[in-house]
Amino acid sequence: MAMACVTSSSSLFSTKPLSSSLNKTPFLGFSLAVSSTPSVQSNRAFKICCQDKAALIPSGQQWMFDDLTGPDVWNKTWYPKAADHVNTDKPWYVVDATDKILGRLASTIAIHIRGKNLATYTPSVDMGAFVIVVNADKIAVSGKKRTQKLYRRHSGRPGGMTVETFEQLQKRIPERIVEHAVRGMLPKGALGRALFNHLKVYTGPDHPHVAQKPSELPIRDKRITKQK
Amino acid sequence: MNKKKVFELAKGFRGRAKNCIRIARERVEKALQYSYRDRRNKKRDMRSLWIMRINAGTRQYGVNYGNFIHGLTKENIQLNRKVLSEISMHEPYSFKALVDVSRTAFPGNKAAVPPKKQGLAMLV
Repeated sequence: MAMACVTSSSSLFSTKPLSSSLNKTPFLGFSLAVSSTPSVQSNRAFKICCQDKAALIPSGQQWMFDDLTGPDVWNKTWYPKAADHVNTDKPWYVVDATDKILGRLASTIAIHIRGKNLATYTPSVDMGAFVIVVNADKIAVSGKKRTQKLYRRHSGRPGGMTVETFEQLQKRIPERIVEHAVRGMLPKGALGRALFNHLKVYTGPDHPHVAQKPSELPIRDKRITKQK
Repeated sequence: MNKKKVFELAKGFRGRAKNCIRIARERVEKALQYSYRDRRNKKRDMRSLWIMRINAGTRQYGVNYGNFIHGLTKENIQLNRKVLSEISMHEPYSFKALVDVSRTAFPGNKAAVPPKKQGLAMLV
C-alpha cells in the first residue's frame, strides 16, 4: 500500500513543472527547506532571529516599524520578562485605615497587590504593588460585627478550636484583622503567599517605609468610609 | 509506540517517570492527552487573559469591560480582544481614544433608575 501511495503521488507531482522538485519528497506536498523565501506573495516577510515565524507586515506599512530584526511584538500576546516585575521598581502605596469599612478596604488593597488594576496584568506573575496600611486598629465595621464577627482558628488537635470576636482580636493583635481580610481576597497558593508579603500593616500612624516614597492609594469605592 | 520514542517524550519528567518504561509509558500517554486537551484550552485561556487586561485598562478610565465592548460594537469597531489588549498595554493614547469612542456610543446604565428599596415604610 505504501508503494502504491508513492507511485501515485510522484505521478501527481511530475505534472507540475513550477514546483521545485529538488526538495520535494514523494509524501509531502511542500518543500522541506524552511529558510527559503516564504510563500507569501503580498507581504514581504522579514526573517526574525530566534523565532520561526516572521512578522508579516505589508510592504506599504513597513515605514512605520523601525525595529524589524527583534522579536514579533505585534502578533504575539505580551508576557512579562523578569525585568518587567523587579520588586525594587514596583510602586508603593500607603492608606490610612481610620474609619474605613474593613471589607471594602481589603478589596481595594487586594486588587492593587495582585496587579489587577494594571493593563499589563498577568495571573501567573506578580505584577502588583506594595501597600502599607497605617492606623489599622481604627478600622471600622458596620452593623453589630464589632461584637458578633467571629475569628476562628484551629490548632489541628481535637478540641483545639479557638474563637474570638472582632473586639477581642482588635485588643490583642489589631494588625491581624486587616491581614486576615486581605489574605482571604488574595489567591491561595505559592504566588498568593508571595503577594501577601507585599502587604505591610501597622497599628500606629507612622510606618518605617519612608524611603520607598509611598503615594496615596487611589480608592474608587464611594462607600468605603463609615458614615457616622 | 516503541520505548525509544517514549523516553524521548518523557524528558524532564519527575522521578522514575523519565527512566522506567512502565511508568514512563503511562505518564507519556497522559502528557499527550493533556497536550491534546490544552491545545483547545489555550485558545480559551488566551482570550480570558485578553479580556482581563482590557478590563483593567478600561477601568482606569471608569469604564468596565462590558460597557466598553458594547460601545465598540455599537460603533461597529471590529478590533478583536487580542489587539485591544495589546493596544491597552503599548499604545495608551490610542486606547484612551477608543475608550472615549465607546463612552460616547454607550455611556453606561446610569440612565436606568435603580429600583428604590422600600423599607418599613411599606407597612405604613
